[in-house]
Amino acid sequence: MTILDHIRKGERGILVSGNHPKIVQSILDFDYLSGNSQSVQAIVTNGKRSQKFFWGTKEILIPCYKSFAEVPAEKGTHVSFLLNVQSGRRAVESTHAFFQAFPEALGAHIFAENVPEAHATELIEAYAGKKILAGPSGVGLLVSGALKLGAIGGVDASQLVSNKLMTKGSVAVVSTSGGMTGELIHAVAEADRRLSFAFCIGGDRFPVSSLGEVLALAEADPETKGIAYFGELGGVDEYEIVELIRSKKLTKPVVAYIAGIIDESFDTHVQFGHAKALVANKDESARAKREALRAVGVHAADSFPEFLKALEGLPGGEEADREFDIAPLMTRRASILSTREVLDVSDIPAFVENGKLIPQESSFMTSATGALLGKELTSPVSKAFFEAVGKLLIDHGGNVSGAVTAMITARAGKDLVSSLSAGLLTIGPRFGGAINDAAKLWMRGVATKATAAGFVEEVTKSGSLILGIGHKKYRVGIPDPRVSAIESFTELLPRHEYFAFARSVEEVTTGKNGSLILNVDGAIAALTLDVLAECEGYSQKELQILADAEFFNALFVLPRTAGFMSHIIEQKRNDEGLFRLPDSLLFTRPLDEDSV
Amino acid sequence: MARVKITEYRAKRLILGDEYSGVSITSKSEVPFAKDTHLVVKVDQGIKKRMKQGLVAVDIQPNKVSSQLKEWEKRGFTSFLAEELVPHEQSEEQYLSLERVREGIRLLHARMGGIDIEEHPETLIKTTLSRNTVQEVSANTGLPEHFLNRLLSMFEEQHFAFLEINPLLVRGENVYLLDAAVLVDSAAQFFVSEGWSDSDIPEESATHETEAKIIDLQKTTPASLKLKVLNPNGSLFFLLSGGGGSIVAADEAALLGKGSEIGNYGEYSGGPTKEETYLYAKQVIALMLASKAKRKTLVIAGGVANFTDVKTTFAGIVLALSESAPELRRQGIRVFVRRGGPNEKEGLAHMQDFLEQEDLLGVVYGSDTPITQAVDDAVATL
Repeated sequence: MTILDHIRKGERGILVSGNHPKIVQSILDFDYLSGNSQSVQAIVTNGKRSQKFFWGTKEILIPCYKSFAEVPAEKGTHVSFLLNVQSGRRAVESTHAFFQAFPEALGAHIFAENVPEAHATELIEAYAGKKILAGPSGVGLLVSGALKLGAIGGVDASQLVSNKLMTKGSVAVVSTSGGMTGELIHAVAEADRRLSFAFCIGGDRFPVSSLGEVLALAEADPETKGIAYFGELGGVDEYEIVELIRSKKLTKPVVAYIAGIIDESFDTHVQFGHAKALVANKDESARAKREALRAVGVHAADSFPEFLKALEGLPGGEEADREFDIAPLMTRRASILSTREVLDVSDIPAFVENGKLIPQESSFMTSATGALLGKELTSPVSKAFFEAVGKLLIDHGGNVSGAVTAMITARAGKDLVSSLSAGLLTIGPRFGGAINDAAKLWMRGVATKATAAGFVEEVTKSGSLILGIGHKKYRVGIPDPRVSAIESFTELLPRHEYFAFARSVEEVTTGKNGSLILNVDGAIAALTLDVLAECEGYSQKELQILADAEFFNALFVLPRTAGFMSHIIEQKRNDEGLFRLPDSLLFTRPLDEDSV
Repeated sequence: MARVKITEYRAKRLILGDEYSGVSITSKSEVPFAKDTHLVVKVDQGIKKRMKQGLVAVDIQPNKVSSQLKEWEKRGFTSFLAEELVPHEQSEEQYLSLERVREGIRLLHARMGGIDIEEHPETLIKTTLSRNTVQEVSANTGLPEHFLNRLLSMFEEQHFAFLEINPLLVRGENVYLLDAAVLVDSAAQFFVSEGWSDSDIPEESATHETEAKIIDLQKTTPASLKLKVLNPNGSLFFLLSGGGGSIVAADEAALLGKGSEIGNYGEYSGGPTKEETYLYAKQVIALMLASKAKRKTLVIAGGVANFTDVKTTFAGIVLALSESAPELRRQGIRVFVRRGGPNEKEGLAHMQDFLEQEDLLGVVYGSDTPITQAVDDAVATL
């Protein structure tokens, strides 16, 4: 059984060393589209406890550990491969560390360029022939529908689909050049063939798994029926193919393109892009290598278009492609990590039933409100009401400006109190601070005995907004569940004139726009006024003094402080790094504006 | 590039240590040898075939050194080496080279003197040198064990990748390195302490002003930016990306019989930023505009990138093109594009819109069209 069979049977768990989110995400997308489980088990990197990725359109957390030794056993049992995206300097030590921790693992891909030659030969001595190891450098290894170990085949979900990477086929793609591995994978799909596997050897001088080993793997692989190979001038690897064919160790058809005829146009040999791409001897020229390959029956094309045509002649008989709808994957956006759920509709407690209070636990808000008012609450209705307000206002998810600011501050490394203060400072006329202003509006309306229509007319004419009215998400037909829950208190308040006035204003405004409903700020403001007036005996004048002192905003600040702190602590607990706004979310001046 | 030359002075100094009495000098330095010393003076900038180019002066006296160096300085050379002449018979001259290969350190040695090694490969002893084989190799070649051990430690500690001593004299336990060339592994610089450093690596020589500018730009980025001017008055200019894809595109032009018309070869890869791509593209465009060819065309091509962002790099190229758009139009230059990879759609759309708007459009192809098609289309207009 070859290593490829093991992979196809499900030994495809990956441990990542270092950090390259784009590549890791493309691997998860490949797994997701293939209908497999997540291959990426964990990331070994410093400074993080977990990292966010997408699984389909859903966000998931992949755990991070500081060393291979810290990877817990239950994760470790699923590890078969290392994806090493460390720098060239650290590639060798991290690879050794991996195989020490996971001696049974099947292989690895080292992504870094600039791995010292002596380190590469050290890796060859340790692992060549025992493990499969793509690199140093290059884009890795792909087994169609089973394993994507590296950037190979693309990092966009759209590339995975157009390259048909999820469909099992019969052509093996082998190339030293990372870019041309991508090109060949695409060309195979265009030729209506599908991949058995693809292997990028890497353009470095000393790849760990050599061309010969990879071709031997292709020969032994029952799924592979033909091979597409891209090589370049320089080096003598192609003579390895010649030797394998001569000794009948490679019998499957090979279509090849050896690039570098252009070298003949120059007076002296030119060093091309890859380290190896320089003709040092006559037999290293593209022409010499093509001829040697042809002599043993390889279809070594004269031109790249001829090569593309020749791919169509490779044996086929592929499984049918599945259809993918990747539109949702292309439009997803990463969130700021926040697992705190917006208050669930079904979780909103009932406070009043059949005109009777449902006893609620806890008395913190009762004591706190008493402290704010400077006198204890006396009525069980008002006690229950302020407990309800506290509960409803603790948190409303991570989207709101105060929570975002608190989280970003925490992620910048600031302490709890600084982060909390940053969050609190956003509370004002547009966020949270509307309760106080709404209370003032309702008081004015009730005091002046205005009609709702006249009142709306008057407020809007002066250019102000009606605080307490309007919601981004809820609208007529989709009522805010928090407002409905709290509205039940009106059953215990015979007059509830403030609330009634607020509802009459809503009737006018929703007539203009369905989203201009009474929101939770407006409802709390109105009911607080009703509760204080009817249960605690507050006069209009006393209420006015409370409003001037911003008592009503305190009702928001108090519970929301707990909410902000919970977001801050979550960021710290998950060790989320410094936040930087992605370019895609920033509007920047178009590049060419100056020159037009 | 992973393998780079170091100066002969540094190479010998590393191998021989304090025993080495040669000095690195300029025309202004003192020559620290006794008046009647017989010297060998050479240009020491990693140049091949110095003898043939008259860059070695054999058997000259210290008082003649300064005038010899001034003459070389007039030819543009800046770094020199002076050492004592070792009188010997040609028959004493041996050849030795060591190279790091997949299996270890490969040693080539020829005891017969005065023979062109390339023409007589049969005279060579070829073996693998390691700590375990030093004794055996020493017995077979007559090279002293201490010398072989020393050379091995150069490969282990100083990350030598290639070493050639030709000629080499061996007199009992003593060795004389008459000429030595060493390539070190630049990727290992971090691991080399107290050895070679950047100042021992001769500057890459640029044969064209634009090449020099790209070399300077390369120094400032971890991405790979390469450019070679082939025919300054050529008609076909390339902005290519990716090591393999760039050769495929250039091959196609050669196959169409336009090899001599190619103005430049080069490639950008390894994820350059928008700004770096802009600076690189600007040089290629300036080079093309300066060409005296009557008909000219620009091919922007690359393979289907695995992770280089097409949108980002193309934004840099568009910026460079936009700066020269009127002149490009005046010279009747059209731009032929083929590229694939992440954010391909947006990158290509940006390019297409720009070229259309500026009336520079040849074609814009994505990954569904072969890389060579843009070259075919461009060549057809010449």
